[in-house]
Amino acid sequence: MAESSQTGSHSLATGAGEPLVVCEGVVKVFGKLRVLDGLNLTIGTGETFGLVGPNGSGKTTLMRMLAGLVRPTAGGVRVLGRCLPDPAVAASIGYMTQLSALYLDLTARENLRFFCSIYGLRGQERERRINEILERVELSANADRVVATFSGGMRQRLSLACALVHRPRLALLDEPTVGVDPELRRAFWDYFAQLNGEGTTIVVSTHHLDEAARCSRLGLLRFGKLLACGTPQELLAGAGTSDMETAFLYYAARGRQEEVTA
Amino acid sequence: MSGTRILALTTRIMRQIVRDRRTLALVFLVPLLVMSVLYVVLTGSSGAVPRLALVRPTGTGSEALNLLIDRLLPPASRLKTMTIAADEVESVLNKGEADAALIFPTDLAAQLAHGEHPRLQLVLEGSDPTVAAAMRESVTALVRQLDVALVQAQSQRGQGQQGPVPAVNVPATSVLTLATPRYLHGGPDYTFNDALAPVFIGVFSFFFVFLLTSVAFLRERSQGTIERVLASPLRRGELVMGYVCGFTLFALVQAVVVLLFVIFVLRVHYQGNLGLVFLVAILLTVSGVNLGIFLSTFAQNEFQIIQFIPLVFGLQVLLSGIFWPVAQLPAWLQPVSYLLPLTYANEALRDVMLKGSDFAQIAPQLAALLVFMLLMIGLSAVTVRRQVA
Ligand SMILES: Nc1ncnc2c1ncn2[C@@H]1O[C@H](COP(=O)(O)OP(=O)(O)OP(=O)(O)O)[C@@H](O)[C@H]1O
Ligand SMILES: [Mg+2]
Repeated sequence: MAESSQTGSHSLATGAGEPLVVCEGVVKVFGKLRVLDGLNLTIGTGETFGLVGPNGSGKTTLMRMLAGLVRPTAGGVRVLGRCLPDPAVAASIGYMTQLSALYLDLTARENLRFFCSIYGLRGQERERRINEILERVELSANADRVVATFSGGMRQRLSLACALVHRPRLALLDEPTVGVDPELRRAFWDYFAQLNGEGTTIVVSTHHLDEAARCSRLGLLRFGKLLACGTPQELLAGAGTSDMETAFLYYAARGRQEEVTA
Repeated sequence: MSGTRILALTTRIMRQIVRDRRTLALVFLVPLLVMSVLYVVLTGSSGAVPRLALVRPTGTGSEALNLLIDRLLPPASRLKTMTIAADEVESVLNKGEADAALIFPTDLAAQLAHGEHPRLQLVLEGSDPTVAAAMRESVTALVRQLDVALVQAQSQRGQGQQGPVPAVNVPATSVLTLATPRYLHGGPDYTFNDALAPVFIGVFSFFFVFLLTSVAFLRERSQGTIERVLASPLRRGELVMGYVCGFTLFALVQAVVVLLFVIFVLRVHYQGNLGLVFLVAILLTVSGVNLGIFLSTFAQNEFQIIQFIPLVFGLQVLLSGIFWPVAQLPAWLQPVSYLLPLTYANEALRDVMLKGSDFAQIAPQLAALLVFMLLMIGLSAVTVRRQVA
């Protein structure tokens, strides 16, 4: 236990050739609602995988499942080659919730310090990481202000920082750019690309189609399944269009038809 | 369990408490205010029927005396009496079977016959000053009536009539003396607050910790940070431990403040081992933290937490023997009292602070508190686990 807290991000080896995330026939039922219905998905190391889909299609549910917070009703979920929930895997995951989940009565730095510490970082290393990430999300000047006094966008930035501060191998980011200004949004996506380069895998949900275009692969979640999955170019080509919005409408219509005939 | 992660959580909780200045001030000042007001307001009048144990005269010629005593005793609705042997006095009082004992000399009849002035001794249990004061009053009245009756009997005998009472040879206005009452615990200068003060340490550590924990945990859920915490390698046990450490430390500081106030400002009498007082406070606090975590999952907002207060707190204040001894509650309510942790805490705190009881003497109460604490930890562990759907 004490050991797993030390390992941080790089001790768990992915099984020989196994992708970082594997979902096989995942079903999740809340009461009578089948939110996920036989979903299959694999995500490889160093990707930015984009999840798109209408409100209530299950993006957050899928993310929470990958974070070990929701158990699938049926089917298997493996992350880093292990079945969830698994504390050893948890240390390698960073989760940014859809609504910024922060301690409003603490300062930005104290929030980061707390999340660092529960991921096992301490001392000099911790402070260095905190300063680095604060710089990254442009909060250095406000680091010692209480979060309750932050604007919505600032909270969103801090929330992202809290998810990435311990250098996770898999970052689950649920709509990270909501309320973030266009300039900083671009900076975020540049940062994601840089993280990919360092071997970090990112799963990101979004409603912005320009952001979708920057993902290495995209999945369109609807009716509990991935109606389409591939690189942005593949999806555009498959729909015979050059416009992301038209492509999504095409796949959604096709999915609805299948749903009816099934 | 990882110490680092628990420490991280403990530090965070302490920091949050310290940052909330207003709550902090309230939590530390309210107990002092309440105690001060009670100190002024309470003129102890407990509605309980006091219980008097009698060590009766047994020597030759005592039958008539005992009949006279029985005739003079107030009705059982005002004073309950029992008869015990001379060597049972301390144990009967310590077990709480009686509030006081009145000891007649064994050879009362003979002493009267020889014209001596027999000395009666009153022994008071003393840890409840109200009861002790009431007892002194009614026993003094009883002895006075007995005295009058004996003097009367003497003068009747002097007129040649045979009274029901053995002869008294001395013409006097008073034949009996009541020695200065002896106190097993406390003393005549004990006030109601001496008995109340120990209890406050328990009440306040339980109440505020319960309230603060349930609100803190509720916030953790409503602002979504619990999701982040549960997604981290922090184990559920560590989460509970972190909360327990943070709030227990805080409650101990509060207990120290209450204790200092009680001893140095209210100048309440106390004796006994402070270590035991803190042990009781810790057991109660840990129960309070876990009860707070458990109940917070049934609340959607802070207002709903407030609705738990009458249940968790009101009931315990009424039934745990703070103002009325548990033994004087209706019989069907007494079992309820013994399901409440404060009942045991109150008994233990009073025993330690007023009677100077040691660890062995309050072991049963400590055991009960421990059982309750483990039960609460179990409940909160289950509810924390349930956070994952
Ligand atoms: N704990 C829960 N209990 C019951 N129903 C739930 C629960 N969590 C999610 N749901 C339901 O599951 C469905 C999917 O919710 P989810 O939050 O995953 O959607 P989403 O794709 O993230 O939507 P959005 O784009 O609005 O964020 C919704 O209908 C929601 O009401
Ligand atoms: Mg969502």
